[in-house]
Amino acid sequence: MDARSDAGAQAGVRAVPKATSDGLICGMFLAPTLAVLALMVIYPFASLLYYSTLRFSVLRPLQGSKEVGLLNYTSLLTDDALWSRFVFTGQYVLATVVVQFLIGIAVAYAFSRDFRGRDVLFTIALLPMMLCPIVVGFLWRYMFNSEWGVVNWVIGLAGFGKVDWLGVADNALWAVVIADAWMWTPFVILLATAAFRGVPKDIQEAADVDGASAAYRFFRITLPLSMPILLIAFLLRLIDAFKQSDLFLAMTGGGPGSETETVSFRLSKIAFSYFYTGDASALAVILLVIVIGLSLILVRHLNRIRERR
Amino acid sequence: MRTSPAGLVPVFVVIGVYLAFSLGPILWMILSSMKSRQDLFAYPPTLFFVPDWSSYQAVFGLGEAARSAASIGLVDALVTSVIVSVSGTALAVGFGTLAGYACSRFAFLGRDDFMFLALSTRMIPPVAVLVFYHFMFAKLGLIDTVLGLVLITTFINLGLATWIMKGFFDGVPREIEAIALVNGYSRLYAFWHLVLPMVRGGMAATAGFCFIFAWNEFTFSSVLATTKAQTLPVKISSAMGATGIEWAQICAAGVVLVAPVAVFFYLIRHYLLTGMTFGVLGAARR
Repeated sequence: MDARSDAGAQAGVRAVPKATSDGLICGMFLAPTLAVLALMVIYPFASLLYYSTLRFSVLRPLQGSKEVGLLNYTSLLTDDALWSRFVFTGQYVLATVVVQFLIGIAVAYAFSRDFRGRDVLFTIALLPMMLCPIVVGFLWRYMFNSEWGVVNWVIGLAGFGKVDWLGVADNALWAVVIADAWMWTPFVILLATAAFRGVPKDIQEAADVDGASAAYRFFRITLPLSMPILLIAFLLRLIDAFKQSDLFLAMTGGGPGSETETVSFRLSKIAFSYFYTGDASALAVILLVIVIGLSLILVRHLNRIRERR
Repeated sequence: MRTSPAGLVPVFVVIGVYLAFSLGPILWMILSSMKSRQDLFAYPPTLFFVPDWSSYQAVFGLGEAARSAASIGLVDALVTSVIVSVSGTALAVGFGTLAGYACSRFAFLGRDDFMFLALSTRMIPPVAVLVFYHFMFAKLGLIDTVLGLVLITTFINLGLATWIMKGFFDGVPREIEAIALVNGYSRLYAFWHLVLPMVRGGMAATAGFCFIFAWNEFTFSSVLATTKAQTLPVKISSAMGATGIEWAQICAAGVVLVAPVAVFFYLIRHYLLTGMTFGVLGAARR
């Protein structure tokens, strides 16, 4: 018996110390990440829960605060101005996600074909989602200028008059939707293309042989079989759109008036312009609960897909 | 799907129109960064013009243009951004690799909760936690410091790095460690000398993603580091000086900001699907 297999036999016998050392390694490997998560997620969340029950501003010392129970929550949830922000955020999320999926699915279906140069064009098409949101916001604000902006020039070529994109609330909503769709449709394209290309070829060929129309093939075969991945894309886009504030900050500043303020935007105003820290904490907790709820659904679907692979 | 050449015409139309929409604004940013004041506000917009590099000079603090009051000057912010992004990326990838390995190999109690907690770093609305970070950073003396920003960039990427690396480790057969253990090597040895070299490509891709997100981070920095430790995005957003918005300089700064992103984007192009789905989808290439 050589030395190596001898050592192996010994390691096999000494099962208990190996297990404890595995536990130690596991703990050591998790420790740094756990420390950061404790400091940056758990501790803040617990503190926000506590602060949300106080009438309190960071501008004044914590001793001067007063316990008010759930008053911050009730005053927030009965505030019509905040509800109108939720409604606006909802409109924005719905509009931007729908636009991204309509364009994204069409382009992804095109990219699911094989042709020369496909990979290069595909990669190029994905670039916008990697850009800095605040720069994207400024770029679009520059292009949406009502007097000399290039967007008005382009639609002018098509025979339309100049549009005041950012000065009118309804237009501003669509302007931000366009900018957001520009940036994030690539994400939908990336996932949808993967989903479409993952549909087994023999099923498609069988449908071809049976003489199924292109529309039938797409809506009855490709789309349903792609649903699990499209659902992941949908949830991720939903969460991201819900917390969007950079584009609004750069493009509209919440204006005209406060008509394009999303809930996130409103929260940063309460927290960092008015310094109502108690109210801000309560609203932060509400946002966190919404996002955690959506994330739980997302993770369930992520795990389902991972198990299937 | 194999399609006849004639059947590809609609495919090319859809992709062509989309690419025009997708790349137009980027080209416009590059063009505008080279425009003089006169060309910048011309209507109809000028497509052909004599390039004027003064915006780049102003941005990099060179020559005549840098001395004008309108110059936004990026050099300090550029240095801060590089330091913060590189160290934040290194920490996130380092920590995330260790945690990803633990999550891939050990069925410890609360593993799913841990994974969820890690993912939450990518999901939570920045403003929500900022309400508290502002307070915490002030107490710890981290406001407007590079150290504070490194903590932030580590945090925003940690969950992503953990998830992606777990995906890559899942792609490495467990038998490798089993054989090493049977042959008397320690698990640490197997991790370091056998498993880690197999996920080197995955680590590089993860680093590419983390760098891009760290480099672009704006929301946290714009609240926590506004004067002494401004990063590039924060600096750019403050370029609305006394003379109004310096569009050409913003575009020039935008080009400077995009350049490294474009390079990293090219390098990680095969891993985009993996990276954007937390390692759940896509071939876990090594």
